[in-house]
Amino acid sequence: MGMLDGRVACITGGTRGIGFAIARSLLGEGASVVVSGRSAEKGERALAELGGGDRGHFVTCDVKQRDDCEALVDATVERYGRIDILVANAGGATGHKPVAELTDEAFEDALRWNLWHTFWTMRRALKYMLPQRHGRIISISSVEGKVGKPGLAHYVTVKHAINGLTKSAAREVGTEGITVNAICPGAIETDVMIAEGPGAAASMGITYPELVDMFAQESAIKRLNEVEDVAAVALLLASDAGAGITGSMISVDGGTSPY
Amino acid sequence: MSRLQGKVACITGGTRSIGRAMAEAFLAEGATVVINGRDQAKGEQCIQELGAGNRTAFFPGDASRQDTVEGLIDFTIEKFGQLDICCLNSGGVKNTAPVAEMTDEEWQLEVDWNLNQVFWGMRRALKHMLPRQSGRILVTSSVEGKLGKPGIPGYVATKHAVNGLVKAAAREVGTSGITVNAILPGLIETDIVQQSGPDTAKAMGLTYEEMVATFAKESAIKRPNTVEEVAAAAVLLASDAARNITGCLFPVDGGTMPY
Repeated sequence: MGMLDGRVACITGGTRGIGFAIARSLLGEGASVVVSGRSAEKGERALAELGGGDRGHFVTCDVKQRDDCEALVDATVERYGRIDILVANAGGATGHKPVAELTDEAFEDALRWNLWHTFWTMRRALKYMLPQRHGRIISISSVEGKVGKPGLAHYVTVKHAINGLTKSAAREVGTEGITVNAICPGAIETDVMIAEGPGAAASMGITYPELVDMFAQESAIKRLNEVEDVAAVALLLASDAGAGITGSMISVDGGTSPY
Repeated sequence: MSRLQGKVACITGGTRSIGRAMAEAFLAEGATVVINGRDQAKGEQCIQELGAGNRTAFFPGDASRQDTVEGLIDFTIEKFGQLDICCLNSGGVKNTAPVAEMTDEEWQLEVDWNLNQVFWGMRRALKHMLPRQSGRILVTSSVEGKLGKPGIPGYVATKHAVNGLVKAAAREVGTSGITVNAILPGLIETDIVQQSGPDTAKAMGLTYEEMVATFAKESAIKRPNTVEEVAAAAVLLASDAARNITGCLFPVDGGTMPY
C-alpha cells in the first residue's frame, strides 16, 4: 500500500537532480509518474534507472516553450487518464551578472525557464484538476524566493514571482480540493548548479568553491541540502495528508531563510 | 510503515487533540511514545486506547510547570534509554482578554504554558541530545506565531516568541545532528478550542461559531485544519528524511498566513 496508489504525477524536468528524486519518491508510493526533459536519450536512461515499469513515462519537453509545457500536461492525461500532481520543478538561470550589467536575454531566459513554465503548466493542469476537484501543484522555488542575493537578480526575481503565483493560485482553488505550494530549497549541488554555479559565483565576485561555502555558512547545518530533502516534503504535499497545507512556501534550506 | 522505527518520542500534552494525533502517527511508524497530561485517569485510558502496549507510557503533570516538563524528559530517558524526538506541544489560553483587561495571572500562565514550557523542555532535551549528536525538537506553534489577532494577545505574543526561540536554537545546534522546527497549524477544533473557545471568542467580540468562521474564512481552504494534517507534518519532521530541515516554521494552515 503506497500513499499515492492510483495517483498520476507530472514533473517538469525529472531526468536528474531534484525532479529525479521526487519522481523516485512518488513512484515508490505507488503513483504513475511522467518525467520530462529536452533529451530523449537522457529521458530513457532516467526511466530505466527509476525502474517504474508501466508507471513511468518520459515526454520530451523544452519548458521554455508554451506548446511543450501544455503538451506535457496533456500527454500525462492521455497516457494515464488524469493528472493529480503537477511538480513544476525545472528551472535555473544563465548569464549571471549584477543588475547594472544584466542582459535582456538572460533576464528573459530566466523568466521563461522558471516563471512562465510554472504558469503554463499550472494553468493547463488546473483545466483537468478543477473538474475532478482534486489536485496537488508543487512548485520548486528556492531560498532565493524569500531572500535576495547580489549577482543573482534575475533568479531571485523569478523565484519570488513563483512564490507570489503560488499564494494567489492557492486562494483561487482552495475550496476545490486543490492545493498549491512552493518548496524553497537551499543550495543543492545538482547538475544545474554545477553547470551554472561558476558563472553565478563570478557575478558575485567569488570562486565556485567560495560560493558553495557561502551557501553552507549561511545555513544552520553548515552544509548544502540534498535532493532527497526536497523529495520528502514533496511527498507529504502530494499525499492526502497534505490536504490542509496550501499557499505555503516551505523552507527546506537547513535553517537559512529567516522566515 | 516504519519511518520512526526504534525512535523514542515524548509529547507534552498528548492525551488528546494534536498531541494525541502525533502519538498515534508516531506509534504507527514504529516509535515508542511517552505522552503527558494533567489527569492520571485520562492518561491511562489514552494509553489503553492507543493500544501499543509497552511502546507507550504516560507521565502525569501540568505542562505549564517546569518540574513536569523536565520530569517528562527525564522519565522518558530513564524508562526507554534515550530521547530522539521531543514534542513540545501543549499550550493554550485560560481566561484570555484584550490587553487592556489582561490580568497578570493570565499573562504569566500563558508565558509559562506556551513559551517557558518550550524553553524548559528544549534545554533539558538538548542536554541529552547534544552528546548523542542526534535529535528532533518539534514545537507546536500556531498561525498566531506569525499573525496578530485581537483578544488573544498573550497567545499571539508567546507563539511569536516560540518561533524566535526555534530559529535561534536551530542555529545553535545545526551542526550537531539536531533539528529544531515549529509547526504552525491554523485553527483546529480541538477539545481545548471547544472548551476555551467561547471565552476566547468573547474576548474577540464574537460568538464561538463566528470565531471558527472567521478563522476558516481567512484560509484558502475555508475550513479549519485537522489534527491528522498536523501529525503528518510532525512525522516528516521527526523522520531521518528531514535531517536537513531545521529552523523551519512549517505551516499547516490551509493557506492562511501570507508568509
